[in-house]
Amino acid sequence: MDTPMAQVRPSRAAALGAKTGTLGVALPFLALLVLGIAFPLFGGGYWGVIATRACVYWVLVSGLNLVVGFAGQIAIGWVALLTLGAYTTSVLVAGTVTPELSPYLALAIAAVVGAIFGLIVGLPALRLRTFYFAITTLGFATIVTQVALAWQSVTGGGVGVAGPIFPKPFDSQWGFYYFCFGLAAICTWMTANIAASRFGRALTAIRDAEVAAEACGIAKPALLGAVFLFSGAVAAIAGGLFASLQSYITPDAFTLDLSVLFFIAILIGGRSSILGPLLGTILLTVLPEFAAPLVAWSTFLYAVLLLVIVLAMPGGIAELLDYKNRRPLESGRAIVPRPELLERLLDAPAAAEAGALTLEQVALAFGGVHAIDGLDLEIRSGQIHGLIGPNGSGKTTTLNVISGYYAQQSGAVRLNGAALPVLERHRRAHMRIARTFQTPRIVGSASVLQNVMIGGTIDGQGTFVESLLSLPRHRRDEILLHDTAMLALAAVGLERLAPVRADRLQHSELRFTEIARALMLRPAFLLLDEPAAGLSAEEISRLGALVVAIARAGTGVLLVEHHADLIFDICHHVTVLNLGKNLAAGTPAEIRSHREVVNAYLGG
Amino acid sequence: MSLTRRQALKSAGAVVVASGVAKPAIAAKDPIPVGYLPALTGPSSSTGVGINRGIQLAVKEINDAGGIDGRQLELITRDTQSDPTKAVNGAAELTRGQKVSVVFGPVNSGESLAVVPLLARTNTPQVHPCWVDSLTDPQKYPMCFRNAPTNQQIGSAANRYVMEVLKRKKVAVISDTTGYGTASVNAYVPMLKAKGADVVYQGNVDAANPDLKPELLRMQSAGAEAIMPWSVNAGFLSRIINTRGQMGWDVPIVGQTTLGSGQTKDLLEKPEYWAKVYPNNFRPVCYAPGGKLTDRTKAFLDRLKSAKIDMGDTLLWWIALGYDSPRLIAEAMKSVGTEPDAIVGYLNKLKGFPGVYGDISFAADKHDGYPDDEIVMVEANSLKDGAFNLAPGYSA
Amino acid sequence: MVASIVSTGLAIGCIYALIGITYNVMFSASRVFSFTAGTLGMLGGVLGSLFIARLGLPVAVGFLLALAGGVILGIVTEIVAVRPVLKSLDQHLYVLSTLALALMVQQFTAIEWGTEARPFPRLFDIARGGFDQQFWLPMLACAGVIVGLELLYRHTLIGRAFLAIAEDTYAARALGLPERRLRMVSYALAGAIGALAGFAGGEMLLAFFGNGPMLTFYGFVPVALGGMGNNRGAVVAGLLLGLFQQTANFLVGGIFASVAVFTVFIIVLLARPEGLAGAALQRRV
Repeated sequence: MDTPMAQVRPSRAAALGAKTGTLGVALPFLALLVLGIAFPLFGGGYWGVIATRACVYWVLVSGLNLVVGFAGQIAIGWVALLTLGAYTTSVLVAGTVTPELSPYLALAIAAVVGAIFGLIVGLPALRLRTFYFAITTLGFATIVTQVALAWQSVTGGGVGVAGPIFPKPFDSQWGFYYFCFGLAAICTWMTANIAASRFGRALTAIRDAEVAAEACGIAKPALLGAVFLFSGAVAAIAGGLFASLQSYITPDAFTLDLSVLFFIAILIGGRSSILGPLLGTILLTVLPEFAAPLVAWSTFLYAVLLLVIVLAMPGGIAELLDYKNRRPLESGRAIVPRPELLERLLDAPAAAEAGALTLEQVALAFGGVHAIDGLDLEIRSGQIHGLIGPNGSGKTTTLNVISGYYAQQSGAVRLNGAALPVLERHRRAHMRIARTFQTPRIVGSASVLQNVMIGGTIDGQGTFVESLLSLPRHRRDEILLHDTAMLALAAVGLERLAPVRADRLQHSELRFTEIARALMLRPAFLLLDEPAAGLSAEEISRLGALVVAIARAGTGVLLVEHHADLIFDICHHVTVLNLGKNLAAGTPAEIRSHREVVNAYLGG
Repeated sequence: MSLTRRQALKSAGAVVVASGVAKPAIAAKDPIPVGYLPALTGPSSSTGVGINRGIQLAVKEINDAGGIDGRQLELITRDTQSDPTKAVNGAAELTRGQKVSVVFGPVNSGESLAVVPLLARTNTPQVHPCWVDSLTDPQKYPMCFRNAPTNQQIGSAANRYVMEVLKRKKVAVISDTTGYGTASVNAYVPMLKAKGADVVYQGNVDAANPDLKPELLRMQSAGAEAIMPWSVNAGFLSRIINTRGQMGWDVPIVGQTTLGSGQTKDLLEKPEYWAKVYPNNFRPVCYAPGGKLTDRTKAFLDRLKSAKIDMGDTLLWWIALGYDSPRLIAEAMKSVGTEPDAIVGYLNKLKGFPGVYGDISFAADKHDGYPDDEIVMVEANSLKDGAFNLAPGYSA
Repeated sequence: MVASIVSTGLAIGCIYALIGITYNVMFSASRVFSFTAGTLGMLGGVLGSLFIARLGLPVAVGFLLALAGGVILGIVTEIVAVRPVLKSLDQHLYVLSTLALALMVQQFTAIEWGTEARPFPRLFDIARGGFDQQFWLPMLACAGVIVGLELLYRHTLIGRAFLAIAEDTYAARALGLPERRLRMVSYALAGAIGALAGFAGGEMLLAFFGNGPMLTFYGFVPVALGGMGNNRGAVVAGLLLGLFQQTANFLVGGIFASVAVFTVFIIVLLARPEGLAGAALQRRV
């Protein structure tokens, strides 16, 4: 989208609320920061080694967290990248294959190598199912270790290579600790920035509501690619630090147990969280040190912890710490939309922009079943077009064809005359075509506000790197997205529930949330898939008023519904489908009295 | 919930403070802490388990006899789990947390490679029994000593036996894909070639591969006259021996000590297959020609029997090495006290420490203590009460 | 040479195929894959060695007890790691729960049984040599399982009920089939098949805790290549995998053989994610 976002002035109350909220979120991190800086004062040399190790592991886990925790990819074999980074750094510093390089340069080169291999290991995730991808990452980890063993001229084979020693002041024990701690702190900051950016939200959308993410225009390959690059790079850096900590690396140091540790730390910590996995990493690194007999059973205990978390507390430590979402919600809440806000939100297009979304003789068959059989349909800007018919008549299929999930076998779907490309569902958002779904598809573990902000993902201008470093354009994006989303929520009547976790909402509230998310695109055309299902009579009438206001602001609406009353109340045109064919089309009055329609669908 | 978090942080802090507080100067009758880093669990634990039996017996005997000048020896064990990461953690705890006087171990090379630099940084004397050649360096690591043979020494003895006693020139060298295996093949093949051997086969095979027939067939068609396996994996070694037997191929197998272990024997398909298998071993714990053990060894075996220590599933020399090591350290401490520099000074001048498994000697420029001439080849199927006969034709 | 590669390749391919069938039977009943399939194979070998070699029980008794162990692990998998997560919204929790369970069993075996490979007893007192029992036992087991499953699915009521559940759980439930119980029985059956694989292959693979991860990976390749839930595809793919692996072992040696297997696996998978014989993805919206 290249039109700049509407000039929504950030409200001072919202900014203040954001500030205190941010402080609450930052407090635990600040506490850890202070603890970490002061650590040498009270921790002995032994705990210094453990603390350094925890920092090194966290550097890797922070990146893996984006892959596993946020994007939901089950990458179990990530130790492969630790191995790569460790060997690359060590070999470059040792100068056996290339001229001797400075450890910092070696680390940087390792990061590049790690990024490339992170991409290679991760990209199959785009093609493979979850379990398959998990197995391939395990295979990858084995392969890297085997290659390290076999490539003796470079890696030293079984005898290994010496790890790099960083120059002053990082060559002493505490100096090196501060080096690792500093990198860990930077990684925490960067990944926290991503988590609070449109990229972080988009990742959770891909994980929990992939279909909806596509409808919002989120391109999975590009986003996952960026995440794998970043994750691979920091894992490799962690590898270089690991090699230095060990003084000497051999292939047998990179065990599957280590991979499992990283993975479990994230899951114990909880997904979509930075603090949770951070605490999880510290916990799993420190735990075996507290009791020597525990050492032999450590992997067993990690597995037990994982099982307990999965069965009893899938949200992990993060869920435990989320006391805000344990406050009871007010009962008997009502959704009271404020349609008057829609003018501001939707930025009423000029009359010249009025257009039409048309279907011409669209046909699609699944095997022998003609789901849609030569359908003609026209949705005009500012008008509400209802689509009704018995179950199985092809209503949702039609909607899916328009939004690009199915490819029609003949006929065309046109936007203002130009044919829409088939099966390009993630480009529909760029054409300002938005939709909702038959079953609400939302990210349960995210707040209502975050879910709505997902709708505006493609409006952000800042790149992934800018978000990583919290540069000005990223912050501007966030403020604008935040304020627009609050406006959308106010328009649909849910602004009081903005900070609440979405999976605590009632079904009807989820439907309105989806509408708010769709409105973030300021759509020229809005496709609603049975939005009234499960709503009370009062809510249906409010929904109707809202849809009318949306249309009045210039959006063309396609309303697929079973509630005939709603259809006849608000629609300008109605099309009736039966067995994929256009049974009748016309104004509500015409349809209501149409004999065939009455026989087939409406009844006496 | 924040309360729980704060509580957790506080108690973690308390533990950290407690272990960070410097220990008071060791009073005259306090026990002497000695650090010990065995691999008791994990994939490479068979050596560690064997050595451990000897160490526990020796420490008990030393303490029962009054310890060192009335001070008991306190063995502080940190199981490395065959993992270099845990070995480093353990070494850090032993030196910086427990403040041990000396460290014995680790027993696996991969772990030692990581631990030796760490112990050097903390000025802790170290004695270890690992074989990888690069693990001692009197210049770089002046406080690190090895009371076991090096890979070079072991390989020399085996190569000498194959070429000079058995008079075979065409040799097949095979190992598994572990660090030890690949390092050994890398080291021994050039040594063989330098002696004029024709290495007709050289390979690293995955130890889990159930079928080694193609490998042995390849050796056979290349004209190999002897097979030299280098692995501590009993499963792998037994497969080589079994396949040779199935093929009815009459060539000697000369190699790693584990060829003679109880574990390997258990995995053989037929006891006859164990003939013509010649592993390394150490003269003091073998039967001399005439079938007698040295008095020292006989006394040691009696002590093992009365302490009911099992030898059937391990190797006697591991137990013997474990037994000798605390006694070596105790001797040093009895002579010069527990200061690190004194101990190192003593070791640098040590000549012929009478160990059960070998006489150990060090010098300031030589920290590999095992004498060449005590490394011998033995006949695997002569195993009796943990000891072997010398291999036929074998002379010093 | 060739004879050796072929006999070992086919034998080990049958073991991989059986683990693949274990995966498939679990998948048919629940639409999820379980990491415990490889662990079952490992247990078959370990339990066989424990009961027959160490405890001295007769072969038949040891065999039944080993299968019983597999059945128990299969049922435990269903109750603890699969049933609780099937109803959750998050579809991928099963990967984590079955991984956790597999790791627990794996580590427990490593600590209690030991990390060294122990001998597996010779089952029939026939002389060695030629086409030895360590080769034809896995093949016999594989053939037996294929025939048995075929008979089960086509000629018994419970087998057809399994097929119904696999085909369409909602319809099956609507018909009144006790879905949960059938799923548990399916997992018990899968457990027995997995343990059988390990038991039949015990002499070749030895009773070794490290067989678990190895079988988890190599047992999954037939599933991935043969198509989810497709047992015949799994057998063909398993045999091909066994032959390819042994040939690669021979041609390029142990390390590069595993690299070769993995590379071919991932290339085929990327080219055809649903497997060489599998069905395409279904409706998502």
